[in-house]
Amino acid sequence: MRGKSLKAAVATAAVALIAAGCTSTPDAETPTDVGGELRIYASEPASLFPPMADDNPSIVIIRQLYKGLVEYDAKGAPVNVIADSITSTDNKVWTIKLKSGFKFTNDEAVTADSFIDAWNFTAYGPNAATNSYFLSSIAGYDELQATDPDGDGPKTAPEPAAKTLSGLKKLDDTSFEVTLKKPFSGFPAQVGYSGFFPVAKACLADVKGCTEKPIGNGPYKIEGSWEHNVQVKLSRNDAYTASKGKADTLTFKIYDKQETGYADFKAGELDIFESVPSAEVKAAKQQYGERFFQKPSNTFTYVGMPLNDARFQNKQIRQALSLAIDRQAIIDAVFDGRFSAAQGVVSPNFLGYRDGACPNCKYDPAKAKQVLEAAGGWKGGKITLWANAGAGHEKWMQAVGDGWKKDLGIDYELNTTLQFPEYLAKGDAHQFTGPFRLGWGPDYPWFETYLAPLYYTKGSSNASGYTNPAFDAAVDEGNAAKTQEEGVKAYQKAEDIIVDDLPVIPMWFGMVSDVYSENVKTFVFNPISGVEYDKIVLNPAK
Amino acid sequence: MGRYVIRRLLQFIPTVLGTLFLLHYLTSVGMQLTGNPVRALFGDRTPSPATVEAITRKLGLDDPCLKSPGNPCLELFWQRLGLAPRNGTFSGYLQGDFGTNLRFREVTDIVSTALPYTLKITLIAFLVEAIIGIIAGVLAGKRSGGFMDYVVKIGTVLVISVPVFVLGLLVQLFVSVKFGNWLRTQEWVPEVISRGLFGAAYKIDYPFASLVIPGVVLGLLGLAATARLTRTSVQENLRADFVRTARAKGLTGKRVIGVHTLRNSLIPVVTNLGLSVAVYLTGAIITEGIFNVPGVGNQIGKAIFQGESMVLIGITTMLVLAYLTITLLVDLLYAVLDPRIRYE
Repeated sequence: MRGKSLKAAVATAAVALIAAGCTSTPDAETPTDVGGELRIYASEPASLFPPMADDNPSIVIIRQLYKGLVEYDAKGAPVNVIADSITSTDNKVWTIKLKSGFKFTNDEAVTADSFIDAWNFTAYGPNAATNSYFLSSIAGYDELQATDPDGDGPKTAPEPAAKTLSGLKKLDDTSFEVTLKKPFSGFPAQVGYSGFFPVAKACLADVKGCTEKPIGNGPYKIEGSWEHNVQVKLSRNDAYTASKGKADTLTFKIYDKQETGYADFKAGELDIFESVPSAEVKAAKQQYGERFFQKPSNTFTYVGMPLNDARFQNKQIRQALSLAIDRQAIIDAVFDGRFSAAQGVVSPNFLGYRDGACPNCKYDPAKAKQVLEAAGGWKGGKITLWANAGAGHEKWMQAVGDGWKKDLGIDYELNTTLQFPEYLAKGDAHQFTGPFRLGWGPDYPWFETYLAPLYYTKGSSNASGYTNPAFDAAVDEGNAAKTQEEGVKAYQKAEDIIVDDLPVIPMWFGMVSDVYSENVKTFVFNPISGVEYDKIVLNPAK
Repeated sequence: MGRYVIRRLLQFIPTVLGTLFLLHYLTSVGMQLTGNPVRALFGDRTPSPATVEAITRKLGLDDPCLKSPGNPCLELFWQRLGLAPRNGTFSGYLQGDFGTNLRFREVTDIVSTALPYTLKITLIAFLVEAIIGIIAGVLAGKRSGGFMDYVVKIGTVLVISVPVFVLGLLVQLFVSVKFGNWLRTQEWVPEVISRGLFGAAYKIDYPFASLVIPGVVLGLLGLAATARLTRTSVQENLRADFVRTARAKGLTGKRVIGVHTLRNSLIPVVTNLGLSVAVYLTGAIITEGIFNVPGVGNQIGKAIFQGESMVLIGITTMLVLAYLTITLLVDLLYAVLDPRIRYE
């Protein structure tokens, strides 16, 4: 142990020396801004290799290790980082120019190939990359997939027809061209997602090694390697040429249980704790005062409608059901106020959000009864409400059912017997026999992410089976729009259709509840990418 | 003795095979009934069938038998054992291939990083149980109805009646957070005590000190039983003829208790200690969870929750092997403690 702490001391001294060296350069930050060790609560990541990481614990760390073409400003708009420009005349063929000077930590330069190779790897079906789905809008994606010709039969899937995306074309070392299947105005926002980050050649040659010891191009680099279930330790990457990290080191301490992590925060072992356990929120608000941070997040919870069921095909029935839900009362009673009631189908943090966009989402029992009567009343018997087992959805789904019973006289029963995999598969196959709980998180800060996947005809996550040509046309119009304003207007038109038709009943958006320690001087939070650890300034050590 | 050991070792084979099959069958039925765990990786986002298929194939979960409820998937079992070829190659437990978790991390890698933590915590728990338990038992047994007897009797009832998950959380809140926070404000207390020993969770900077409290909580599980067993056994033997003889020969009290009585009282205690070690491995699921020790127990808990069948099979098989070895060692210890027992 003594040897270890000695090594740590030497390492800190070395980092301090490097940091001191930095401050003498003219463009450096004021010396008081930099330095210190930031200790962060984390969960075990699924992977630290961008093509394979689609879960929040992984993405949080990958954002410090890697940098993509763009990052997001406080309003959620994309700002170029590695990209010099991302331009298009028709929203379909995009030309991306890169800044030069960015390097991976193994000294390999970040070039057009770093992106093209990474995206080809992710898209190629047999690589089984979890982020594959995100590249499906690029031309040629389908040729990289192969399905088993006889399902579960003895034959195995053939090799895909192509190995590289036909929609990616290298122009020179610092520029490339991307052709999409369909015009999409949100492409520059989309590429800020970590599934689009560049990957070093050395990494693609040794995926396993690069998962354990990432070779990144971001503001921080890994110290040692990923210590599974214990910690991931990062130190500032001084070769990074854009805005440098503030803290000397970021230590992501991995906890299996939120409660344990919170106990450790209270014991002074952590500087930043994300998502305070629900039972502790009230106490934390009082105890930590200004150091308690709460803001609506982008996770969306809804109750889907099985539109292939004749009982739910009249939109007035769906409106009546939505009007009879007292969202705020459920949030207060069941969740201690930890959600923000949905006022539409897009997150309050997004460009184009409107307060009160959904008139049918306000609790109005009288109007609900009226609308139901106008629709000829409910003749469908008992409603079965679906939720997946063991995830704590019973209480609030019951509250929803109780509301319908009280205000509309509709009887209900709960079905929470299915485990998550089976539940999701049932949704994919449109087999629910009643309203069902599901959620959605945005993939990139663009209005469209809350619309097309969920409601577009045959949309990838359209579990209600909704189809409406007018809605599809409005989304297409937004995707082809020349300017952001025009796009937003078209998307809002599409949202208006959804909140009137209600293929899903919007429930609420999540709420971030973070606390930070006295060591933190400035806490920086981005509504899209969450806490920006590289920008957090620590108080000088006592 | 040698032949006995070999015979016992040979018995390991059917036991392990039986366990493997049971685990294989249960996890297969689990998948048949609850669906492909790969789909759950994506949550609300519906993946393309090609992606799900590619991942499922890479994980070796694409056998059609995993979709017909009740099917024992015998062929898959032989493949997993490494006795039947899979896509033309033999690759299974016999070849040292225990598969991967859903994120393609090898099970052998998961186990080998988790195991040292569990061994450490088990060792601490064992020492706590054996040393404190036996001493308390002897003190109580020496004078039946005496003060120590009552202390031990009441203390053990208290420990037995509090479930480990309650005890763990209470210790964490009062000892590690409240008392620990006070300690951390005191300048004279070295960090290894204030942050390590009395930390609320495992800390990599203090790899042994921060495991002491979780180890003690785990050891308390068996401590009460050990103390009570020792107490009754000592009380019984104190009335035995050979103890009276030893006393009559004028041996000191220490020698009478320490050598003559205790050694003969230890057989039930050793059996209990052996079983305790096995219980630790399961109790560790809760204790390691509470104190965030990245050991085997924690990994099992997670594997059950996430439907990681390969991880579950790998770790449980290892635990079965450990359990078999411990019981064999306990049986061999009988012969050391009681010369009348011989293994031919």
